[in-house]
Amino acid sequence: MNELLVTIFSAAFLATVIRTSTPLLLATLGGLIADLSGALNVALDGIMLIGCLAAVIVSHYTPWYVGVLAGLGAGAIVGAIMAFFHLRMKADIIIVGFAIGALATGGTVFALSIATGGDKGTSINLPSGAIPAVDLSFLNAIPGIGPVLTGIFSGHSFLSWVAALLVFAIWYFLYRTPWGLWLRAVGEYPNAPEAAGIPINKVRAWSLVVSAALAGLGGAQLAMFNFIGFTANMTAGRGFIALGAVLLGARHPVGVLFAAVLFGAFDGLTTVLPGLFSWIPPELIRMIPFVVTILALVLFSIRAQRALALRGSR
Amino acid sequence: MSTEAAAPIVVASAAGNMRPPSRRSIAGREIGRAAIAVIIAMIATVIIIFFVSKSPTDAFMTLLTAPFSKTRTIGLWVDDVAKLTVTGLAFSLVFQARQFALGVQGQLYVGALAAAYVALSPIGQTWLGLPLGVLCAMIAGGIYGFLPGIAKARLGANEIVSTLMLNYIAVELCNFLVRVQLVPPGSGLLTTDRFPKPSLYPVLVPNTRIDLGLIFAILAVLIVWFALYRTSWGLKLRLVGHNARFAEYAGIKSNFIMVSAMTAAGALGGLLGSMFVQGQAFGQLTVLFEGGFAFEGVLIAIVARNRPLAVPVVALFYAYLRQGAQLMNIRTDVPAEVISVVAAIIILLVASQFGLPAWLKRYAVGNRAGATR
Repeated sequence: MNELLVTIFSAAFLATVIRTSTPLLLATLGGLIADLSGALNVALDGIMLIGCLAAVIVSHYTPWYVGVLAGLGAGAIVGAIMAFFHLRMKADIIIVGFAIGALATGGTVFALSIATGGDKGTSINLPSGAIPAVDLSFLNAIPGIGPVLTGIFSGHSFLSWVAALLVFAIWYFLYRTPWGLWLRAVGEYPNAPEAAGIPINKVRAWSLVVSAALAGLGGAQLAMFNFIGFTANMTAGRGFIALGAVLLGARHPVGVLFAAVLFGAFDGLTTVLPGLFSWIPPELIRMIPFVVTILALVLFSIRAQRALALRGSR
Repeated sequence: MSTEAAAPIVVASAAGNMRPPSRRSIAGREIGRAAIAVIIAMIATVIIIFFVSKSPTDAFMTLLTAPFSKTRTIGLWVDDVAKLTVTGLAFSLVFQARQFALGVQGQLYVGALAAAYVALSPIGQTWLGLPLGVLCAMIAGGIYGFLPGIAKARLGANEIVSTLMLNYIAVELCNFLVRVQLVPPGSGLLTTDRFPKPSLYPVLVPNTRIDLGLIFAILAVLIVWFALYRTSWGLKLRLVGHNARFAEYAGIKSNFIMVSAMTAAGALGGLLGSMFVQGQAFGQLTVLFEGGFAFEGVLIAIVARNRPLAVPVVALFYAYLRQGAQLMNIRTDVPAEVISVVAAIIILLVASQFGLPAWLKRYAVGNRAGATR
């Protein structure tokens, strides 16, 4: 047990948590945007997967940042497709999400097989680029706390910093700009903004595009930093955990940040535990993030219901 | 949260149902829409195959004709139809109640585990092995469907997230139990022994995979249809799915309906698990034996518009495409996964409320007017 505590409170584990949280956080922010605009984006996992593949294939031929942009762009395109079918073709958004999920699980394997000439399931013959870690070792120069600061802040993925920045940016956008107000109004009660002359379908469409682009960015982080390369179904349900994180984070950017880090921590635990306790069956360790998500969902639902009951009794 | 998400759906479905409700015209429109979706999807397939394959005509002909070429492949097709029908029914049942529960995969694994425990126990050697295996699988699946149902009813826990998480847990549970308990010691494989013969489904057509599962699938269609359209439970369920608030005002206990629908769908998922492991296709429990099959039921249910009697028809077509794609994968240079692209296109188009192009509409409407006269 002691070893576990030592591990958990080490700088290395902090780095692991930040690494595992980043793709989750990006996808969760995507889920948040869609959710606040009134559309439950159940395709997050599929979009991440598509983002992974796009990033891997493009970064094989180009510098890493182009690969990242490819993941982002692939996500945005999928989001535009979703918006088209949901808003123009009046298809149920959840069913559109299912379709994108089906497209992603099989389509990525198909596309990889085409891109590599027959490889199924892994991109081992297609070495991809990697997102560089941001080196802040100059912080060492600060007397006293320098090494600690370096341990905490240095060596994270470039996208981890982007994700942290995005939490603030999205908070600012949602609560300090008129467009953020539009978005929340469209999700809350579409008739009101429509009566006020706000182009609600435009707001919804852009929300879906941004939501999917963020999930695609999460995919890029997953395939170019957490793992290098693509494997079939490599997201392993992260997009769905992100959906849970949106709920757990009370649909607020900062709450969502904490939820994503919480789930990321348990995800990180699954990578650390096998080394520490070899007697725990690996299957049970791999269950942890999913069990934690269910527990969090249940606890959050109890809390939300209690809040609702309080409001009702008043 | 779920209410906000559901709001646009309710609006959309209400708008869709405002047209005069002539049953035959609705059915005709649905079938027409499905046919158009399939045609567009097939055109897309041709285009994809044309770009991907070195010999596109061979590949496409394999996709379209191979499943019907031999008794064995026909058997594979029929077996697939039976299984797709059951997963399609399970999804239809919950979708009709407007619950987007995606738990069939998990129910399938726990059902398969329950069936395997029965079949590999001493009971499995007796005639009891078969019925008890099926029963236990259905109970296990039912429980696995009940849990997210009650969490949703009591706490409002989002059923999409909870069922998906339960799927992953069931997969890992199956991996764990097979490795630790069910595999004979020292084999090193992640597959159990073959189940004893009394526990296996009897073969209906010799030298094929067509077995008792087909009968179960047909029975399941009839039972689900009867339950949905000929019982008060079914009427309430469809009312809840159509307009939960109205149903609530009408005095229907929508929570009870929701939980029972998810439990019944879970039992179907469990049955499917038994059909896999006790059927001729496997006859044993292997880790990850399902490979995402359960989710094909989403497509079946959506294209069939959640109608139990339409489910086997859609399954018939889709299973044919699936088998064709598998054989195309083996015999030509086109990967079988092309089918998922086709599936996505079909789902998107069937779910869309697109109008026909003006010239086509004029033609179709003119025809119909002529036919009624």
